[in-house]
Amino acid sequence: MTAQITVTEGGIPHNTLMIYGLISSLVGIYLTYLNTVTGTQLFSFFGGLGAVAALIWGSSTIKRLCSYGIGTGVPSAGMLAFGSGVIAMLLATKFGIASPIVALVLGLVIGAILGYIANNILAMKIPVMIQSIAELAAVGALVMIGFTAMTTGSFTFSPLSVIPVTVLGATVNSFGTSLIGGGLLAAIFMLGSIALQHGFNACLGPSEKQDRTLMLTAEVGFLSMLMVAIFSFAFIGVGAMIVSVLISAIGWYYTYAQYITLSKRDAAAWLDSKPIVEAEGH
Amino acid sequence: MVENIVFGIGITALAGALAAVAGAAEDTESDIGSQGDPNSQVQLAPQMGFIHRIFNKAVAGEPPAYGLWCALGAGLAWIFLIKDINPILALILGATIATFVQGVYATSGYLGRTASLAKFGQPVYIDILKSMLSVTMAHAFVAIFTTVAMCYLMNAVLGHPFPLPILGLIWGIALGAAGSATGNPFYGKERQYQNQKFGAGVPISASGNIVRYAEAGQRNSLDNGWFSAKLGGPASGICFGLIVFLELWRTILFEHIAAGWGAIIVGLAVILVFVVIDRWVEVYARKNYGPYTVAEEASS
Repeated sequence: MTAQITVTEGGIPHNTLMIYGLISSLVGIYLTYLNTVTGTQLFSFFGGLGAVAALIWGSSTIKRLCSYGIGTGVPSAGMLAFGSGVIAMLLATKFGIASPIVALVLGLVIGAILGYIANNILAMKIPVMIQSIAELAAVGALVMIGFTAMTTGSFTFSPLSVIPVTVLGATVNSFGTSLIGGGLLAAIFMLGSIALQHGFNACLGPSEKQDRTLMLTAEVGFLSMLMVAIFSFAFIGVGAMIVSVLISAIGWYYTYAQYITLSKRDAAAWLDSKPIVEAEGH
Repeated sequence: MVENIVFGIGITALAGALAAVAGAAEDTESDIGSQGDPNSQVQLAPQMGFIHRIFNKAVAGEPPAYGLWCALGAGLAWIFLIKDINPILALILGATIATFVQGVYATSGYLGRTASLAKFGQPVYIDILKSMLSVTMAHAFVAIFTTVAMCYLMNAVLGHPFPLPILGLIWGIALGAAGSATGNPFYGKERQYQNQKFGAGVPISASGNIVRYAEAGQRNSLDNGWFSAKLGGPASGICFGLIVFLELWRTILFEHIAAGWGAIIVGLAVILVFVVIDRWVEVYARKNYGPYTVAEEASS
């Protein structure tokens, strides 16, 4: 016997959240293009904000999917999202300025195929399965493209895979020190996928509340964004990195404080150094 | 050639030793947080009316969670190495920042799960959070630092073709899996159910009825950490240390035989040897301990 997962009703409808998350995520990622327009790197942090928006949308999707009694397999939904999303994201970076949109579309297509396989061939028979897996793959692709845009200041393939390095006075292109060649995408993958599943995984239970769950997702999203800001140390200027670190740190601190307030609101009691309060009948 | 092999074996032994420390610290850390397999019963207990003072740190399973901590530690170390920071300092900085992330996840996991059990009257014990957190973070730091250092040795000294963050991800997942499979049963299957017949599994009627009182006073997760440090931790350490040592050993010694197939054949042979040992231990244990003679109807 394992812990039962129940999902509480109420709050903002999932479809509204999805539309807000989708639009803010795309807008955020596209705002990093201001880097190219203005010739600076100061706007890289918008990619991280876009990723956080996508994470909040994905967290709501996970809650909807897992309400069909997937059991304690919530974390696997995060892994699945990013595993399918990384294919879409890497392919999409070849499309230049259209990359974020291509990532979204490819994510939806790959996710829909996987959802079809899970639902019809593996016969899991969950009504929202295809839509949810499609959404999750799109979220995975958008989060990764947002975080890579924040790390390198760009979302196209060349800056992600080749870095000019000066060796003995001559400039050569290095693959090994780039975001993809150095394998840093693996760290971004994990930062995104654990953040995506943590909101609902940590808050599941009979007294789960939507605002607290989504606040937690925003909190871990900003925490991942803070780490991505540190990653950008190797790729963009110090000034732009400091802007990214400051914005992520402020976002993280605010959402963390809010999350603790909401937990205090929802908890049965908030005790310090008190013994076990025995439930009635025991 | 021979010098290279001797040097490689030395690094292999060092990596194995680091892995043993990592395994021991990982299992102790996750058991203090009731992560992985023991988690479902800790989560279930209040629903069955058993209010407890055990730290419930729900952050995915151990393999994905350690995949994140180690990939993050390795990724940060990689960034600092690119910026020409001293390798030791880079590894320490990477592990420290990854430990901070682990700590934040641990607090939010405990608060979230406990607040969502409000219906069953499980209070948030804020002193549990305060006193357990530093202990899990300390153990997490040891586990992350040793794993990332081991990955650095593989990459920089043995010339492994994978970059540091990917090695961190792979070995982090392996570390979490080793701790989860080897160390957790000590705590999740036995210590939580000391009040049941030894080896009986968990009967449905006893679900959630975990041990909540300690030798003196009420049990909290530091008691479980003490217990894990004694049994589950060292077992996980031996497991993960052997995995890393044998993996590197077979590669260093046999990769030049038959164009790399030598290492693969030795790897298969090692698996076969362990299958035989495992089966023998299992049969021996069933014969000598516990009531496993007939299949019990009430085991889950």
